[in-house]
Amino acid sequence: MPQPYKRSRSLRRLNIRVLGKSVLRYKERKPGKAKCGNCGMALKGVSRKRPKKMQKIPITGKSPERPYSNLCSRCMRLVMIDKARLQ
Amino acid sequence: MIEIGRLCVKLAGRDAGLKCVVVDILDDKFVLIDGETRRRKCNILHIEPLKDVLKIKKKASHEEIKKEFEKLGLKIRETKPKQKTERPRKKRKTPERLRQQKEEKKKLRDVFRRKGEKSEKKTAEKEAGKEETLEERAGLDGGREEKEPKKSEKQGR
Repeated sequence: MPQPYKRSRSLRRLNIRVLGKSVLRYKERKPGKAKCGNCGMALKGVSRKRPKKMQKIPITGKSPERPYSNLCSRCMRLVMIDKARLQ
Repeated sequence: MIEIGRLCVKLAGRDAGLKCVVVDILDDKFVLIDGETRRRKCNILHIEPLKDVLKIKKKASHEEIKKEFEKLGLKIRETKPKQKTERPRKKRKTPERLRQQKEEKKKLRDVFRRKGEKSEKKTAEKEAGKEETLEERAGLDGGREEKEPKKSEKQGR
């Protein structure tokens, strides 16, 4: 039995036209969308690539530059307000 | 709540979590802030006011705010103004410059010719051969010489 990572069925299947014929090609699936640690909403501005391609992206391109980049902007603001009011 | 000199915390953007002071009220929505953050226009909804109020004038300079912040034990953000540099422009090619370029090209050609001595020999042979071959191939000079005396002969007759 093939190992799971060697199975072609676990990959993305693309029908590409090569020289007038449709040919089946396989590509690795993208990782899932990053989600907010508090509310679970999909995060914007977080790049979604295979790890090998993530190496080529600069640090500033991977995630937003604000603090608490694992949270969405709404949740981050709530955290900031809580902190400010405690002072 | 929001007034000139009010200490606040920035909530949105890359300066989020940093302290700032309201320097000027621009509008019913916007204020001018300065401090740990960049000196910039900011929406009221993007700042959270704190208890403290600093004694500063309206539109106070960056240095005045810096002194006030140092009293509180906070470090202010300082940015260097961008130095003005002249835009690089293309220089016109002067005739002197063109002459120099030509000389450089000639030198380079000479270097390549020295390497290929065989090609020089061939060219020399060709040049020498051209003089002969042109006369021979055309056959005009030889033919004329032969024909011309015939004409003179006719005239003599």
